[in-house]
Amino acid sequence: MAESMRAMPVIETDGLTKLYGNARGIEDVTIAVEAGEVFGFLGPNGAGKTTTIRTLLNLIHPSSGMAQIFGLDSQRDSVAIRARLGNLPGDFGYGREASGREAVGLLARLRGMESLGRAEALAERFRADLDRPLGQLSRGNRQKIGLILATFHEPELLILDEPTGGLDPLMQEEFLALVAEERERGCAVFISSHDLDEVQRVCDRVGIVRNGKLIAVERMADLLGKARRKIIVRLSDSSGLTELQDLKGVSDLQVDGDRVIFQAAGDIDAVIKALAAHHVVDLEAVHPSLEEVFLGYYREEGDG
Amino acid sequence: MSSQVAALVATHLSDRRRSVLAWGLPLGLMSAFIVAIFPSVQGALSNAIEKYPSGLKEAFGIGELSNVEQYLHAEMLSLIVPLAAGYLAVRAVASGLSGAAESGRLDVLLSAPVSRSRLCAAGFLATAVELAAVLVVTALLTGLGSLLSGAGLAVGSAAAGFASVWPLALLFAGLGIVASGFSLRTSVVTGSVAGVLVAMYVVNLVGKLDPGLSGVRYFSVFKYYGNAIEDGIEPLAFGGITLVAALLAAIGAWLFKRRDISA
Repeated sequence: MAESMRAMPVIETDGLTKLYGNARGIEDVTIAVEAGEVFGFLGPNGAGKTTTIRTLLNLIHPSSGMAQIFGLDSQRDSVAIRARLGNLPGDFGYGREASGREAVGLLARLRGMESLGRAEALAERFRADLDRPLGQLSRGNRQKIGLILATFHEPELLILDEPTGGLDPLMQEEFLALVAEERERGCAVFISSHDLDEVQRVCDRVGIVRNGKLIAVERMADLLGKARRKIIVRLSDSSGLTELQDLKGVSDLQVDGDRVIFQAAGDIDAVIKALAAHHVVDLEAVHPSLEEVFLGYYREEGDG
Repeated sequence: MSSQVAALVATHLSDRRRSVLAWGLPLGLMSAFIVAIFPSVQGALSNAIEKYPSGLKEAFGIGELSNVEQYLHAEMLSLIVPLAAGYLAVRAVASGLSGAAESGRLDVLLSAPVSRSRLCAAGFLATAVELAAVLVVTALLTGLGSLLSGAGLAVGSAAAGFASVWPLALLFAGLGIVASGFSLRTSVVTGSVAGVLVAMYVVNLVGKLDPGLSGVRYFSVFKYYGNAIEDGIEPLAFGGITLVAALLAAIGAWLFKRRDISA
């Protein structure tokens, strides 16, 4: 299965657009997500992340453009597609009276499964109570049930809309570990999030969406590489370091006693070589948070 | 029936198991009370009814109240039970569509390989079963009332009377699915279909009261509802209304398939 899945993108959209009259939905979204890839879909609330996901799932119909999943048309072949994916909707809900076990049981029957798959194991892993009515669970515990419903049948594609909402830090770690395992299994994972830290830790590539438009798709490593790092150097003698100012990619140089603080973008080989001429007591490179990267993209677009 | 539809119907019925008693019990107890008091009020009622204007009696389906079946029809089966069952039907079918959309369950179900048409079919079938169960509970309690009071209600006639409510109410379940094709707000779906239910009753009533307006009755399902407790079930009307209900459900499923399901 993994070989055939690698032949084509698991998710492929071309010019996917959804307009709501005069209101904005999404416009011209073109992405491709490969098998075994974790793709982050980043943007603030209202940017169009959920609209994109709902269009992929055929919950809403696109105004124009194409979306394929597993090489199948997302509208015409929606039922066949959904047989192979797992979805955690944003702001997961299932009603108040049903228990997680009842919900898993129904989905298992709808999927033609004769057992609850790995639901029990996942419940144990996430410390989720499958037997209490969902209305009696906290938001975080309901979210765990949502994650189990999305993953218990070992899908080939996971679509997760804001998956860690309400989860405590321990469970967020467990979630990230699960995503990594799913990737190892060959599963493609599409994560919509505005939690930039979790995306940074788990995604191979990210798409940044703003005002309904995809403004960038980057490999996570490239994205972070392009970003400015804050570099703090402590020197035994900081005099004569002004040459750093002239190096490509260096900006905002400040000298504060024996400390030199500056921003460096891109390749920092020249910076290291310039520093090597001095006695370096300490060096700290602070990687930007994805939020800073994200804001940078927004700023660039605004400037443009 | 596909295994998916069977699973959805079973879940729907399990979720709404309490409604069978919540609706069947009060309707049944009320009917039982009506039947139970009939022997003691029979004479006085007949005298009172004789003095009613004939048009009014015809409009409300009140003929002679010389037997308990006529009394049960006049008091329960001509108005209260069909209106209550019609409203229950739209509530039940809406719970599986607009209600599920509001709770978030619809998103989860539509993440599974189940078509929207099957969801609608399951909602319609489950509502049909739920309605039947409510009517059976109502009929059983009515029969019990008759048995305890010695009113002498004919079992077959009573069964026909309650059974004839089923297709009528189911028609409003079909309309509920049509309404879900336009709105996924439960208040809008139940409100609009309940409005149609009452409007149809009033249209039928007006058509009966004013012979010049009798033509408007063709737009009301109540025209075809009849008086099965006295006349027996009219197979054509029973089958025809059921067929229209199923047709409405199919149209609703078509509309539902084409609509966006927003978050």
